[in-house]
Amino acid sequence: MTNHCKNYKYTAETYSALGETMTDFLHIGKNVPRTAEIDKVTGRAVYIDELKRPGMLYGKILYSRYAHARIKSINTEKAKKLPGVRAVITGYDIPDVRVGFLNDQTVLKRDLVRQYRDEVAAAAAITPEIAEEALKLIEVEYEPLPGIFDPIEAMKPDAPLIHELDARGRPLRSNILPLPWKFSAGDIEKARKESAYIVTDNVTTTWINQCCMGTSGCVAEFDSNNNLTFFSQTNVIFGGKGRIATYLSNIGLKGKKIRVLNPVVGGSFGTKLDTDIYEFICIQLALKTRKPVKIKFSREEEFAALPPRQPTIFTIEQGCDKDGRLTFRKVEAILDNGAYTSWGATTPSVMMLPISSMYRVPNVSFNATCVYTNNIYSQAMRGYGNPQAAFAVETSMDSLAEAAGIDPAEFRLINRNHPGDVTPMELKITTCPLEECITTVKEKIKWDEKWGKRNGRGVGMASLIHVAGGARVYLSDGTGIRIKIDENGEVYVLSGSTDQGQGSPTVIAQIVAEATGFNPEDVNIVFGDTDIGLWDAGTHASRHTFVAGNAAIRAGEKAKTQVLELAVQYIPQMVKRALKRQKKKNPDFKEPELDYTMIDSPEKLDIKNRMIFPKEAPDHPYFRIEASQVLTGALHVGNGESKAVVAEVFWDPPTKMLNAEMKGNYSLTYAFGTTGVEVEVDRETGEVKILNLVSAHDVGRAINPALVKGQIYGAIYTGVGFGLTEQVQVVEGKVMNPNFRDYKILTANDYIPVEAVIIEDPDPSGPYGAKGIGEPGLVPTAPAIANAIYDAIGIRIRDLPITPEKVLAAIKAKEGIV
Amino acid sequence: MKSYEYHKPQSVKEAIDLIGSLDHAKYIAGGTDVMVMIKQGKLAPANLISLRSISDISYVDTKDGLKIGSGMTHSEIVDNEFIQKRYSALVDAAGNIGSGQIRNVATLGGNICNAAPSADSACPLLVFDAEVVIAGPNGGRTVKIDDFLQGPNKVALEKDEIVTGIHMPDFGEKTGSAYIKHTRRKAMELPILGIAARITIKTGGSQACCKDVSCTPDNATNMLKRVEDEKFVCDDVRIAMSVVAPRPIRAKKAEAALRGKVISEAVLNEIGEIAALESQPRDSIRGKAWYRRDMVKVLTKRAILKSIERILRPDNAKYSYR
Amino acid sequence: MKKEISFTLNNETIEVEADPKWTLLYLLREVLEMTGTKEGCGAGECGACTVIVDGKAVDSCLYPVMEIEGKSVETIEGVALSDGTLHPLQQAFIENNGVQCGYCTSGMIMSAKALLDKKPDPTEAEIRLAISGNICRCTGYVQIVESVQQAVNMKK
Repeated sequence: MTNHCKNYKYTAETYSALGETMTDFLHIGKNVPRTAEIDKVTGRAVYIDELKRPGMLYGKILYSRYAHARIKSINTEKAKKLPGVRAVITGYDIPDVRVGFLNDQTVLKRDLVRQYRDEVAAAAAITPEIAEEALKLIEVEYEPLPGIFDPIEAMKPDAPLIHELDARGRPLRSNILPLPWKFSAGDIEKARKESAYIVTDNVTTTWINQCCMGTSGCVAEFDSNNNLTFFSQTNVIFGGKGRIATYLSNIGLKGKKIRVLNPVVGGSFGTKLDTDIYEFICIQLALKTRKPVKIKFSREEEFAALPPRQPTIFTIEQGCDKDGRLTFRKVEAILDNGAYTSWGATTPSVMMLPISSMYRVPNVSFNATCVYTNNIYSQAMRGYGNPQAAFAVETSMDSLAEAAGIDPAEFRLINRNHPGDVTPMELKITTCPLEECITTVKEKIKWDEKWGKRNGRGVGMASLIHVAGGARVYLSDGTGIRIKIDENGEVYVLSGSTDQGQGSPTVIAQIVAEATGFNPEDVNIVFGDTDIGLWDAGTHASRHTFVAGNAAIRAGEKAKTQVLELAVQYIPQMVKRALKRQKKKNPDFKEPELDYTMIDSPEKLDIKNRMIFPKEAPDHPYFRIEASQVLTGALHVGNGESKAVVAEVFWDPPTKMLNAEMKGNYSLTYAFGTTGVEVEVDRETGEVKILNLVSAHDVGRAINPALVKGQIYGAIYTGVGFGLTEQVQVVEGKVMNPNFRDYKILTANDYIPVEAVIIEDPDPSGPYGAKGIGEPGLVPTAPAIANAIYDAIGIRIRDLPITPEKVLAAIKAKEGIV
Repeated sequence: MKSYEYHKPQSVKEAIDLIGSLDHAKYIAGGTDVMVMIKQGKLAPANLISLRSISDISYVDTKDGLKIGSGMTHSEIVDNEFIQKRYSALVDAAGNIGSGQIRNVATLGGNICNAAPSADSACPLLVFDAEVVIAGPNGGRTVKIDDFLQGPNKVALEKDEIVTGIHMPDFGEKTGSAYIKHTRRKAMELPILGIAARITIKTGGSQACCKDVSCTPDNATNMLKRVEDEKFVCDDVRIAMSVVAPRPIRAKKAEAALRGKVISEAVLNEIGEIAALESQPRDSIRGKAWYRRDMVKVLTKRAILKSIERILRPDNAKYSYR
Repeated sequence: MKKEISFTLNNETIEVEADPKWTLLYLLREVLEMTGTKEGCGAGECGACTVIVDGKAVDSCLYPVMEIEGKSVETIEGVALSDGTLHPLQQAFIENNGVQCGYCTSGMIMSAKALLDKKPDPTEAEIRLAISGNICRCTGYVQIVESVQQAVNMKK
C-alpha cells in the first residue's frame, strides 16, 4: 500500500494544523488525508468478496432450525451427488474436536443442537448457488426438545442443563459458567451505613448487531504439504493463527505452517476478535476438497448466525454522603451466555472499568454470572461491555443525584476522577481532563439554561472511562514493528497489526514520518500478514494507535539513528567528491572551507522532509542532502561494507494482567470523556428526537484530528442506535429481524446535530501523547440520552433500546392512563 | 435458482397476450418486490413480463382530477408539482417509500398490486377515492381502490389482468391531504402504521388561504387555535389507515363523525378515538397492537391538522419527512 | 437462455451475453469483473450496490439485467477520468475522511454523484436525503456529508 499517488492533488487545506501548540510537529496533529486508501474511492480495493484463488470453491453452511433438538439422522447422499458439489460434511465426517474460548463447542454439531443457528453441515461447490442448492438436499431429522431462553430460569438449580459435560468430559451441574467475575474493594456494608442517600436500579440491555457493511468471510487454502494460507478478516492475526494451529494439531496436522493474512476489511466492530465457527468450517472444507474454499456470509447470516453484543441484566446500588460524595457502588450482573462461549463472557473484565473506576468511589463490589441458555451466544462489540455497564452506572448516578437533590452535572464534578488517582481496581490514572470534558459539554449543551424544566425538552449527560494505553487481556500486550528504509527513501513499516478502516495506515505513517524525518507519503505500511509482521496482540481495546504507535516511534527513531550514522559516514565523502568534480570542471572554482565537525556525529544531524541537515545550519549549501542520496551511497559501495537501514522494536507496555481479584493496572493510560444530549420527547407518540449532542474526549493528542473525529462520529451514531433503535429481536432462540429492514441501524436521514470536541492533555506514555479513541465515543451515548429523557418528561427508562413504545407506556403508567 | 425468460412488451395488449400464452409468467415493473421474492425463493416464475417499456402506462394527466399511469415511478410522482400541491398525501407516501434508489424504479402500480398491508400509496389512494383502471384479456374495467385491495398481497385482479392507471377526482381548492408514515427511523422503512387524511373545509366566509408571504409553517397548537377561532367546518373527509388491519382500510365511522362538524381539538380527539376503535392492529416484530391503536388516535388528528395546513398554505405543501 | 444485450457502461458501448436471471450487480461483479460495486445485503436495503442508470441511482442487486438494454450505466469504476484524475467527490472523500472501511463508499459516491449531476448546489438536507438509502456503520455520515459539500465547492 503506497501513500504516493500521482493522481492525487495535495492542497493546502489537507495539511491544516490543529491548534497553536502543534507548531513543533511537522506531521502530528495534521489532517493528513488517507491517500494510502485511494483504491477505496475508485472501487479497486480488494475485500474478501473480491478475493479469488485458482480453482476456488464456495462453501455454505446448513444451520439448525431448532433452538434445542437431538439430531436423529443426517443424510448427505443426495447433496453430494449434485453436479458441481465437491464436498459435503457433517459433524460425523470430521473429528469431534472442541473449539472456542471455553472449548464448549464443536465445529459441526453431532447429536445435539443447542441454538437456533447451530452449524450442522456444510457444502463446498464450484459456485455459491450450487452450494446453496446442495444444502437444500441435505436431510436432517430432528427431535425437538424444550429450550430455555431466560437466563434467570436457566440459573435455577433444577433447570435442565444446556451442556451436560465440560471440555474435559466431566459432568456439569449447572448452567452457570465457572468464570471468576467477582470483585470487591473496601467494605460495602460499612459504606451503606455511612450513606445519606442510596438508590437501586435494575437496568437491562439486549443483543446488538455489529452491522459491518462487509459481512464475515474467509478463504482457506492448503498447499500440498497441508500448510495453510488463511485469508481472514480477523483483527487478531496472531491470536487467530494460534487458535488455528491448536485446531490443526488436534485434528492430526501438528506443526503445519499457517499464514494468516487480511484482505481489505469492511469493518469489524468486534466481530473479528475470535475465530468463529465458520472459519473452522472453511478450513475443513478446504482440507476435504484440497482446493481453496471461500465462505462469505449473506446479510441474513450476518444477522442470524454471527454472535452479537452481549446482553445484560444489571442490578446496581449506589450511595453517597450528604455532600454528594459517592460512598459505595454494588453491581450484580446476569449475562445470557447463549449456547456456547465467545468473548461475550469476558465482557465483565471491561465492565469493571466503569463499575470500579468511573468517578471516585471508594467501596465497590461486582459480581457477574454468565449462564448458558438456548439463545444465540455473544462476542465482542465496540466497547466490549463498557457501553452496557456505563448505562447502568450513569443511570444510577442520575438516580442518586436526584435523591441527593444535586444537579447531575454538579454531582459528576463532585465525584470526578483526578489525574494521579489509583482506583479500587488498581488502575493508575495518569492524565485526566474529565473536569474539562464535563464543563465543556455543560457549556456547549447549555446545561444551566436547559436542565430541570420538565417541559418535554431536557438535557442529560454521561461520562466514560476506557482503556486507552493498550489492554493486557492476553499475557502479552505487545506489538512488534519493523521499519526498513530503502535506498530511494521509501519507508516500509512492517506491522503485525490489522486495519479495519479506522485509518491506521495514515496515523502510523504520520507517526513514523515524525519519528524518522521522512514524509507521510513516503511511508508505506504493510499490515495484516503473519508471515511479514512481528507479533501483535491484536487490533482491539482501542490499543492500536497507542501500542503500535509507541513501537513505531521507537523503531522509527532507531531507523533514523541508522540513517544519521550513515550520513556521518558518507556525507563528507560525497561532498568532497562533488567538490573535486566541480574543481575538475572549473579550475577557477575555489573550494570552500567547510567545517566538517558540524556533521561528525549523528546527534548533530537531523532529518526533516526527507532532507538530512546539520542542526547548526539547516540550510547549509553543501551539508543539506537528500536522505535517499545517503542511503544509496551507503548501499552501493562496491566493497564488503554495504549497509541497509532496518530497525525493529517489540514493545509491550509495562502493565499488569488482572489478577484473580480482577485488579491490576492493565492499561498504561485511560481515556475519559463526556457526552451531553438535548432531547425533545413527543408525549403523544413516545418518540425521542435528539436536538443536540456534544461529545468531549480526552484523546491525549489527536495525531490526525479528522480521523479522531471520524471515530467519534461513527461511535456516537452506533451509541444512539444502542440507546434508541437497535435490537436483535430473539424469540425462543430465533432471530426475528435478520435484515436491514427490521434491524434499525440509523440512516443518513436520521440527522443528529453532533459536535465532537477534542480535548488534548498529552499523556506522557502515549505516542506523541496520544490515547486510544476507537471505542470511547460510543460508551456514554445511551445513558446520556436516557438521562436527557428523564429531564424532559420525568420518566426513566432502564431497558435499552428506548423505543417509543417504552416511553409511551411509561408516560401512560405514570399518568394512570390505560 | 432456475432461470427465467425476460420479456419486454411495448404495449398493454402485448403484455396481456404474453402472459396469457406463457407458462408460469409474472408481471414485473420496478422489480423491488418481485426480485426480492425471487431471490428469497418465494417466487419461481419461468417468465417475467416487464412493464417498464410500456409508455402507455407512464402518464400524468391533471385535467379533471388526477390520472396517473401505473408505470409512474415514485420519484416521478414526488417531483410533480401538481401532485405535491393538490394530492399532497400521495407525495408524502411516494417520497417516503424505501430509499431514493428504490423510488427511482418502483412504481405506483407495483405498490398497490403487491398490496402489502403496509403499502404506503394505499392510504392516500383510499382518501382520494381512487379508481383502479384495469385492462385484461376480456376488456377493461375500473374498480374502486377500496374494493381492489382485498387482503395481504391480495387484490381484485382476474387472471392476466394488468392495472394501467389510477384515477382520482378533483377536489377543488379547499381540500388538503396528508399521509403520515409512522416509523422508527427516517429512511428505508416499512411503517409501524400509516394514516392518510383528506379534508375539505368550509371556512364560513373568511379567506382560507394565507396570502401573507411571510407565513411560516405552524405547529399543531397554533394550527388548532386558528382552526377553532375561525370555526372551520368539515365539509367532507376521508381517513384511511394501514398496518392496523389485514389490508389498508377507511375509518368510515370516524369520517361520519367528523363530516359537517365544526373542527376543534375535542372533535379531533373524538374521531381519533373512533378511528382507533375501527382499527384491528396486531402484535408483530414491527410494533405492538396497543401502540398501533394509540397511534391511530394521535396520528389521525395530526394528519387532519396537516391537511388543513395545506389548504391554508398551498405553496408550502411540499412533502416533508416527519 | 442467454441473450445478447447492448448498453453503455461508463461511456463505453458494450455487448454482452446475459442470462435473464442475472441482476445488474451479478453482471458487473461476476461477469465483467467490475468489483467496485459491492453487495451489502442483496435485498435493496443498504445501498452498497448503488449504480447510476440513465442518471438515476438504483440498487443494482434488484435490477434485472435485461432492463439495461439501451441504457447508460455508470459505476464507481467510471467516476474518475480516464487518465486517473479523481472526480471531486473521490478527492473530497479522501481529504475529509469520508472513507473509513470503504465498503459503503462506492454506493455512497454513486448516490452523491447522481445528486450532484442533477443538482450541483444541494442543501445539506438534500445531500442527506440522497444518501439516505446508503447505510454506513463507520462514519456516522458526518464526514460523508462534509465530503459531498466539499465536492460541491470544488466544482464551483
